[in-house]
Amino acid sequence: MMTCQYFRANLQPGTTDVGVLEHLRLCDACLDHAMGIDPDLFFRSLGGTELVPPGGVDAFVGDVMSQVRVRNAETSFAPRKAARVWQRLAVAATVAAGVAGASLVYRFEAVVPAAQPVRVLASASRVVPARPQILATKSFVETYSSHDATIVEMPNDGSDAKIVMIFDEKLPADL
Amino acid sequence: MTAEVLRMIPTNESVEPDDRQLVEQIRRGDEEAFETLVRRKTSKVYGLCYRVIGNGEDAKDISQLVFLKLWENLDKYDPQYAFDTWLYRMVTNVAIDFMRSKQSRDNAVNSNLRLVKTAFDPEQTVTVQRKEVESVFNVVSNVLSPKQKAIFVMSEMEDLRSSEIAKVLGCRESTVRNHLFNARKLMQQQLKRRFPEYARLWEQSR
Repeated sequence: MMTCQYFRANLQPGTTDVGVLEHLRLCDACLDHAMGIDPDLFFRSLGGTELVPPGGVDAFVGDVMSQVRVRNAETSFAPRKAARVWQRLAVAATVAAGVAGASLVYRFEAVVPAAQPVRVLASASRVVPARPQILATKSFVETYSSHDATIVEMPNDGSDAKIVMIFDEKLPADL
Repeated sequence: MTAEVLRMIPTNESVEPDDRQLVEQIRRGDEEAFETLVRRKTSKVYGLCYRVIGNGEDAKDISQLVFLKLWENLDKYDPQYAFDTWLYRMVTNVAIDFMRSKQSRDNAVNSNLRLVKTAFDPEQTVTVQRKEVESVFNVVSNVLSPKQKAIFVMSEMEDLRSSEIAKVLGCRESTVRNHLFNARKLMQQQLKRRFPEYARLWEQSR
């Protein structure tokens, strides 16, 4: 460490000299003198010293290492945990696929009405009942409005099923 | 001295592995290498934590947390960068997080405020005592944000250059300089308000 005499003779404001700062941080006698030269050294004087945690370095290192060993013991189970995660994912994927498949089947059945026995009336003996497969592939029309259409409704006996035939030249060919 | 004799003198490099070599050993599962690293860096880590946090027990807990994080994240360290920069980044992140949560937990008056002197004689000559500088720092640095304080500590007490601090914090050098400028300004204002006898040192030097 440099002497106090050398320090006082060479101290410049705004110094970053390692030797000067080292002296400033260790020598109480020169601290007050340094303040008169450069007050910014006021807080700089705090640095540099080797600080030791309460209880000492050995106790500190011992604490850290014991915690590391505990964590090591915990993480030694990690591979098994990882496998379990994959198993869980596989089970979840299977369940999700099952649910998705079931919902698809349910939707398909909702669009395609169950086949019902068609009663062929005497007045409509030539009417061929539509096949469910055809209904599923054709566009579905919910509302229809036209001045040129001819609508023929097949009479029924109070059952829910009703056959309606629409004859309209302006309708698109695929309907 | 001949080259032959020089070869016989053990150098520090041959006796103690450097930080990067230790990291390599730790990655291979060498627990003793980690213990060596902890022992080597304890003072540095604890010192920075203590300066930023201002409390020995909290600083000790945070330092231990830093080392545990270090142990868990050592795989992420890229040896092409300086180990200390990476370590400092971890310390500042953990310390700043702690300070932020602490600030939100208790905005109560710091016990250090008892040091505030309301009356002082303008003619009184002031002798700066090292212990008192530390107490003054703990009081006046309370006005700084955790990040400002960390930057101030790294610059003024750990003697890191702005470029090094920027690397540690992952920000631009100009940002570091701005924080430093504001930190100094705020601290001088606090010093003037709470410790006018010391603030006079700055006024005298103008």
